[in-house]
Amino acid sequence: MRKLQYECSVVRRSVDFGIEFVPRDLYWKTTYYAIQAEKCGFDYLWITDHFNNRNVYVSLGIVAAYTDKIKFGPGVTNPYLVHPIVTAQAVCSLNEVAPGRVVCGIGVGDKTTLSMVNVAQSTPLATVRESVKIIRDISAGRDVQHKGQIYNISGARFNFRVRNKIPIFIGAQGPKMLSLAAELGDGVLINASHPKDVETAREFIDQGVRISNRDPSEVEVAAYTSFSVAEDVKKAAKAVTPVVAYIVAGCPEVILQRHGISKESSVEILNAISQERWKDAFSKVTPEMMEAFSICGTPEQCIEKISNLLRIGVTQFVAGSPLGPDMRRSIALIGQQILPMFQ
Amino acid sequence: MGVEEVVRKIPESLWRTASERIIDMILNSSNADNMPSDLAKTILYYWQRDQLATEVGLQKLLDAALRLEPEKTISFMEELGLPEVVVTLRRSTKA
Repeated sequence: MRKLQYECSVVRRSVDFGIEFVPRDLYWKTTYYAIQAEKCGFDYLWITDHFNNRNVYVSLGIVAAYTDKIKFGPGVTNPYLVHPIVTAQAVCSLNEVAPGRVVCGIGVGDKTTLSMVNVAQSTPLATVRESVKIIRDISAGRDVQHKGQIYNISGARFNFRVRNKIPIFIGAQGPKMLSLAAELGDGVLINASHPKDVETAREFIDQGVRISNRDPSEVEVAAYTSFSVAEDVKKAAKAVTPVVAYIVAGCPEVILQRHGISKESSVEILNAISQERWKDAFSKVTPEMMEAFSICGTPEQCIEKISNLLRIGVTQFVAGSPLGPDMRRSIALIGQQILPMFQ
Repeated sequence: MGVEEVVRKIPESLWRTASERIIDMILNSSNADNMPSDLAKTILYYWQRDQLATEVGLQKLLDAALRLEPEKTISFMEELGLPEVVVTLRRSTKA
């Protein structure tokens, strides 16, 4: 294996680069990688919020203490398990530790995880719309008087001052949520690795921008990808295959059709996963599925795929889980060989 | 011999290599749960300041490596060609 230096030199770019961590790992590993990501020049760090992993705000609090420049936030939290007032309190408290570096990612959450605690994703559009308004209002120091379809708040206010605005990014998948996200959010987080999916999402984002009469440049479009990079393409592919299997298993038919993937093959993978036949499930992942639902390969291959997304209006590229077969090495590869190509 | 003395026996020209290898060893260790939280925070402190390849940074890394992966650490010292360190570490891990 070629010797890789782990130091990176940071370059200025016209596009933002984000990285996603899942706090399954011990806190000090996540923090180690967060420091490394900052040194390599990433602009954003997103930490996922699932109750069965380590708490997102505890993880972010430690990251805040050990980093100086990188922006960070939950990517994404959901209003079904965490009341928006509590989300606002958490991000505003973090903002005191790292002023101007905190962002808030919010969406409807992960169906599988929420179903474990019998929480339904009911009335998603109203829930997200009201949550965003509540977080904005209380963060801006206003008394929150809110009588909505979902929340009823009469006179909530922080006992502390928030010194700057906290940008809100909305995680969105379906047409209506994408449009709402563009209407309300400072940014839209799309779970997509393929230009076709981003192009489709952009139509609804543009719709939301028109509804709200905003300048399109006010809305960041962040592509949250399943990413895996390594010098050896086979190793990169092996690392991302389980993620792709899960995506295909839970993918709506309309998206499968867009990529020429049959519903039957998705059901086969879903069945194998639900019966814990992992090897079988992963062996059913085809090159077409990998192409549709991941950005994976050598640094050169990844650069080309990232460029394709940037050409259609992505303003923040997020390298999402798993990143590669060896996390530390993959972050270094991105920092040294990929990010400098986008200065 | 404590980790301070062990590090003093490692030539400065090898500090960078040693630091890189030990970081990988720690991050990929199946015994990562055994890392004391205060030691982890000290390592993060030095990492944030780019000081893991300094004498004190390497001491902290070596301390962690010996707790998480004693055998692998000794093999690595052998690889670096430091027989005196190897003998001492073997003695202290048996004690």
